[in-house]
Amino acid sequence: MRTSPRYTGIAIGAVAALLLAGCSGGNSAQNTDDASGGSVVIDAAFSIETADPGNTYDPTGNMVAKALYETLVDFKGSDVNTPIPGLADWTQNDAATEFTFTLEDGRVFSDGSPITADDVVFSLQRIQGMADAKPAFLLAGVTIEKVDEKTVTFTTATPLLQLPAILANPALGIVNSKVVEKNGGATDGTDTAQAFLDGESAGSGPFVLDSLDLTSQVVLTRNDEYNGDEEAAYDRVVIRNVTESATQKINLEGGDTMVAMDLNGDQVANLADNLTVASVPSAQTIFLLVNQNATVGGVTANPKFAEAVRYALDYDALLELAGTGASEATGVIPPSFAGALADGVKQDLAASTAALTASGYTGETVRLQYPNDYPVGGVEFTPLAERVQAQLKDAGINVELAPAPFTTEIDPYVNGTEAFSMWFWGPDYADTANFLPFAPGLKVGLRAGWTADANPEIADLATQAAAATDPDTREAIFTDFATAMQQDGPFVPLIVPGSNIATANTVTGAVYNAVWTMDIAELSPTS
Amino acid sequence: MTLDKTDPRPSRRSNKKATSPLASYLLRRLGTSVLLLLGVTIVTFALTNLVPGDPITAALGEGASNNPATVAAYVERYGLDQPLPVQYLTYLGNLLQGDLGRSLSTGRAVTADLAVAVPATIEIAIGAILVSLFVSVALGTLAAYRRGLVTDQVVRVVSLIGLSVPTFWLALVAFNLFFLQLGIAPGSGRLSPQLSPPPTITGFHTLDFLLNGDSVGFVDAMAHLALPVFVLSLFTVGLLTRFIRTSVLEVLDQDYVRAARAKGLSGARVVLDYVLRGASLPILTVVGIAFGSLLSGTVLVEAVFAWPGLGTYAYNSATSLDLPGVMGVGLVVGVIYLLVNFVVDLLYGFLDPRVRLG
Repeated sequence: MRTSPRYTGIAIGAVAALLLAGCSGGNSAQNTDDASGGSVVIDAAFSIETADPGNTYDPTGNMVAKALYETLVDFKGSDVNTPIPGLADWTQNDAATEFTFTLEDGRVFSDGSPITADDVVFSLQRIQGMADAKPAFLLAGVTIEKVDEKTVTFTTATPLLQLPAILANPALGIVNSKVVEKNGGATDGTDTAQAFLDGESAGSGPFVLDSLDLTSQVVLTRNDEYNGDEEAAYDRVVIRNVTESATQKINLEGGDTMVAMDLNGDQVANLADNLTVASVPSAQTIFLLVNQNATVGGVTANPKFAEAVRYALDYDALLELAGTGASEATGVIPPSFAGALADGVKQDLAASTAALTASGYTGETVRLQYPNDYPVGGVEFTPLAERVQAQLKDAGINVELAPAPFTTEIDPYVNGTEAFSMWFWGPDYADTANFLPFAPGLKVGLRAGWTADANPEIADLATQAAAATDPDTREAIFTDFATAMQQDGPFVPLIVPGSNIATANTVTGAVYNAVWTMDIAELSPTS
Repeated sequence: MTLDKTDPRPSRRSNKKATSPLASYLLRRLGTSVLLLLGVTIVTFALTNLVPGDPITAALGEGASNNPATVAAYVERYGLDQPLPVQYLTYLGNLLQGDLGRSLSTGRAVTADLAVAVPATIEIAIGAILVSLFVSVALGTLAAYRRGLVTDQVVRVVSLIGLSVPTFWLALVAFNLFFLQLGIAPGSGRLSPQLSPPPTITGFHTLDFLLNGDSVGFVDAMAHLALPVFVLSLFTVGLLTRFIRTSVLEVLDQDYVRAARAKGLSGARVVLDYVLRGASLPILTVVGIAFGSLLSGTVLVEAVFAWPGLGTYAYNSATSLDLPGVMGVGLVVGVIYLLVNFVVDLLYGFLDPRVRLG
């Protein structure tokens, strides 16, 4: 039997009418935001795997964990040099091997129960127990013990002056041990609490978790029991996954979002007047690697070749590509960290030519390898590599560009088989010790084929810096280390990309922090 | 004639029932589909493993990948220490139990990830194919009827533009124009930030809001669908319009269409009942292909509109060497292609009785 199109149309119309009639009495009121204390919408390119602080180690994950959980140690605003008390104050011995933390009185979790030393020990030993937890390495070699209800000690076999800075990492947030244990938490490596913590939070931060969708949005609501000094100014926070920075910009200009986390330098330079931008150099450094292993690098293995490259570049011209907020990399230690150098290398073509001649370079083409799909702080590597190529050509060095996707390029980089490459480095936690791996014989140094005996003086400086227990002495050693690296190292630091957080004029308090990107609790409506 | 007990006819009839053309056809299609999907898993597995790169470094990052204990636990958790054939066979064994493995990049079950991503993409793909079909049938038929005239030229230019304009660029321009400049479209994403997603029943936000009786949510979800559907359908409109124009032109010269006109039937009746029905087979073929290509075409559109769909998931999985994620996407796309082709084949028989399954 053939159905008349007329009947089909009538049937479709009837179904549509029924459906619309059915939803005309819909209960949408509960679905709208009552916004009694206001809400704020944040657009970010998501990098988050979980809301469980013990398993998180991504920028967005850290930002969320910072809002939900408190750590023993904190930083204020964008400063990452001066750890301040968070949930606890601390003392340490002269050898920097024993740290005693005393919890602040009266602090409670979001269910109203008090925060005790048991919670601290459980939270951190839980991470140590989970071998496959990404932040587990932060506490490697640290022994954590309860002294009394309010006191916990941390001991290490070797000096670890940076321990307080490490403990400020949101991944080391303190969880409510009773709640988490009841839901699969354990310190013996059998922990299964992640699924629970992805559904609801068990911390003492200014916010509690409302919902977590790793692909689209994370919703936080105010923690009514919070009694710290960073009370939330908003009742509700929606963090949306918007991967395209161009979309973030349009959303911000159109009023659909109030905070855009990932605009690049060019985009923030052209924002509308009713928007505000907080631009600071990030903690990442983009650098050139000049391999010192003759088997891998050939001509690049001559230290004079690295020197020729270092003096051949026009750093101001390179910086033009990075946009607002970026700065010249003055060394392997970025400007926001103790020990960083005040000034970088200046272009000196005569010095470059002399070094190039001394290196034995005879005009051969050198391949510059780099990841071409992984912009850092909005800085695209391809145009940067092209400019480096052009500047080196002017200095008499022939460069062939060899881009590849990040996931394929990172292998030869970590295995030390790249002769000449462009990469980046960022800290795992807020301390200058994160930049010691550039030293000869250490992780990044070895990627450049730079063994400890290649430069014993710099290797010794790194050892001294790692073992220093006096902050002033330590900073001085780091400065010497950075200076020596700029003179004789196989790395040519180029740019510290900017970090730009753009906000609507209705929001204030957006500040970039190298550890947790942004403290959401510091956001508030403009008065 | 009376039938005795030895009469072979009844049993012959029952044999006929057991091997009806449709059942036989379905069985054959099922068999070939399973083989095709097996091929998809082999090719995807091989290609993903051919990519030079270390998924451990990609997934763990600098700090954690430097911790031997973390790396060892990670390798054991995902079975990455096993030889590749063993990994593949393990994957197949789990697949038979409906387990697509655990994503290296999200840490969750791939089935859970896909349960969110697939409906999000299907929602815009279905919207785009419906809009494309409606618009291109109208334009293609009009162009064929006005062959050589200005209308025909305009439609051909429009379809050429649809095919030529880069989707990513169009998405950004459309978003800027309709949201930022004109203010008649909502911002990115599947919903306004003030709204919470509906309780999941089908995974389609529009449908789930309807089923939950939430008219505000339904309207908001529909509004958020509009721009991605518009952008995605423009390319398909360009593609389909050209095919429909050609198909209609072929049918217009057929005797039965002339006969219908000669009978004095109205123009609309001739178009709907004779011309389009006659041109429907090639159109159907192209629609099937277009639907499949829509799925792969969503990657860039999803990126611009912050749409958490299959394209976004595929991109993230591929760039992080997430083998289970990539395999899951490959399988889902393979299944969707097979289903669409199957439906198209069945519709052939429905639209043209001369086409028989066999």
